Amino acid sequence: MPVETRWQRLVRSLLYGRGVDRSVKAKARLGLAILAFVGIYGVIALRLVVFAEQSEGHGARRSVSQDAVATARPDIVDRNGQILATDIKSPSLFAEPRKLIDPDEAEEKLTAVMPDLDTKELLSRLSSKRGFIWLKREITPKQEHEIHRLGIPGVGFLTENKRVYPNGPTVSQVIGLVNIDNQGIAGIEKWVDGQGLAALHMAGLATDRLQRPVQLSLDLRAQFALRDELVKAREKFKAKASAGLILNVNTGEVVALVSEPDYDPNNPREANDPTRINRMTTGVYEMGSTFKVLTVAMALDSGRATLRSTFDASHSLHYGRFTIHDYEPMHRALTVPEIFTYSSNIGAARMALAVGVQGHKAFLKKMGQLDRLRTELPESAEPLVPKHWGELNTVTIAFGHGLSVAPLQAAMATAATVNGGFLIPPTFLKRSEAEAKHLAKRVLKSHTSLDMRYLLRLNAEKGTGTFANVEGFYVGGKTGTAEKVINGRYAKHKLLTDFMAVLPADKPKYLVLIMLDEPQPVKGTHGFATAGWNAGPTAGKVIARVAPLLDLEPRFDLPKAAQLILARATESR
Amino acid sequence: MRLLNILVIAALILAASFVYKIKFDSTLQAERGAKLRGELRHERNAIARLRAEWAKLDAPARIEGLAQRHLALQPVKSVQFGTFDKLPPRPAPPADLVGAMLKGAAAETTGSVPTPRARR
Repeated sequence: MPVETRWQRLVRSLLYGRGVDRSVKAKARLGLAILAFVGIYGVIALRLVVFAEQSEGHGARRSVSQDAVATARPDIVDRNGQILATDIKSPSLFAEPRKLIDPDEAEEKLTAVMPDLDTKELLSRLSSKRGFIWLKREITPKQEHEIHRLGIPGVGFLTENKRVYPNGPTVSQVIGLVNIDNQGIAGIEKWVDGQGLAALHMAGLATDRLQRPVQLSLDLRAQFALRDELVKAREKFKAKASAGLILNVNTGEVVALVSEPDYDPNNPREANDPTRINRMTTGVYEMGSTFKVLTVAMALDSGRATLRSTFDASHSLHYGRFTIHDYEPMHRALTVPEIFTYSSNIGAARMALAVGVQGHKAFLKKMGQLDRLRTELPESAEPLVPKHWGELNTVTIAFGHGLSVAPLQAAMATAATVNGGFLIPPTFLKRSEAEAKHLAKRVLKSHTSLDMRYLLRLNAEKGTGTFANVEGFYVGGKTGTAEKVINGRYAKHKLLTDFMAVLPADKPKYLVLIMLDEPQPVKGTHGFATAGWNAGPTAGKVIARVAPLLDLEPRFDLPKAAQLILARATESR
Repeated sequence: MRLLNILVIAALILAASFVYKIKFDSTLQAERGAKLRGELRHERNAIARLRAEWAKLDAPARIEGLAQRHLALQPVKSVQFGTFDKLPPRPAPPADLVGAMLKGAAAETTGSVPTPRARR
């Protein structure tokens, strides 16, 4: 032990107290220091592990922010997976003038690659003191590559999403379109936004990796064929507009829907034209004689009439100052099939009166004709229902005047009369038969539905619907011609003609509705402009083209409607 | 004691160089990852563009236009569809195959004889 001075001893005794062994103390301190260091290094190591784990997704996050510059949308495909709408990425060129070192040089280099840029304007914009300017939206990949190689500081690219509709106007009325910010403003595109995509856009999280395609019920091939025929029909009959739809009567799926004139969604300016509305859902019309399908179904279902009942149609029907005529008066009592095939207004009116005003109203309510029909499409219209529903209203509504409904709505009710009596809300999304059964509501007895199939078939064989009868597909159908109301009066020569066809009529799968707005009598129609001469033949052409596409097999061994009903009459006995 | 010190220093150098290597490798991997991600994005965008182009080329309106311009085809009529069970039964093969072949060969100086490969 070294010699301590007295002073040192004093200090030691003051600091540590007397009789304390210094070496023990030193060991303890050393231990403490080791513990502290181990602790510190342990914390550092732990932090490193945590940091490494967190930074795993770092690169991914960066790419997300790059993707989300413009909002991505899910693809829209038809029932077979054909693309109806999709996003493509295109680079856009931007500059940050504050970061530019030499605007003149940048301007020279850029115009060398893109000669279509305006030199003076470009220079003035580059010399400005703004933080961010777009130089050109949607440049080609080749241009991007070349500009990238120029290596100008302060110039960069951002990837933007651009919506493209490869089929142009063919499906425009259903899928709608988007605005410049890729937000849906009409049709299914708007519906997609309503399903939560808009919120994703707001949060800036809508990247293409999160989104499943939206599969519609439309069949692109059938849609195109329908549109093609409707365009031809509109030209041929010089009509103001033509519209049509094909509905699967067992699932409620809309397989095709066209309202022409339509617009090209790639060119949004056309879309605002009011003549290009979707007439099948947004317009309401008096459907004319096709409404007799519902009247007859009602009378048969109520038990007030059978196929053998007769109704007096020998005289015109007088109601106050109104007189109900028949288009081709028979001047005798008619059976129910005769009323249907001759399209007798008087007969239909008497059938509705047999059920009564309240019964008629309740029936149409049940069939969904008095309430607004809502589908996925945001555009819909409220039916025009008379405020005071008296006997006269029942009389006119029985043959399709005085109640305006959306054609899709009428098609839904007509489908219910032939599919076994189930009212199925129509949809534009793919739906299975099981799902449809879940949604279906029984509105008619299945027996009534069988009678209606027979009547529709009979009408296509020898009634007003003969021009729509395509050999082999066993078409059934009903014509309808309504005079349009102009300034509160029925205009004699402004007609709205429509045709409802079901096929095959013995076990219907599809309903085809064709509607022409103000068709003119043309060569070959003998001066007529009624539905049997224009909407009917158009329906026939559509069916001939579309039925094979929809997997309907032509059959030639089917009995005539008259034999069919005879067979059923003996069966039930 | 000295040996221990040397050992510790050696271990330190070893550990440091090992850490450096790991760091270097991870940087390399991260760069590769970023590059692959970029390529993936690029490819995905290219696929989207090609799909859109395919859909455009495949559009029924375009196909019909082409068909009308270049083909003499007519729309199919419903009577032109048939089923397999409506086909007439397959005709029985001729009895004397070799004789028929010889006859055919004699009548025709050129051309090939179809080989009856199905039945031997």
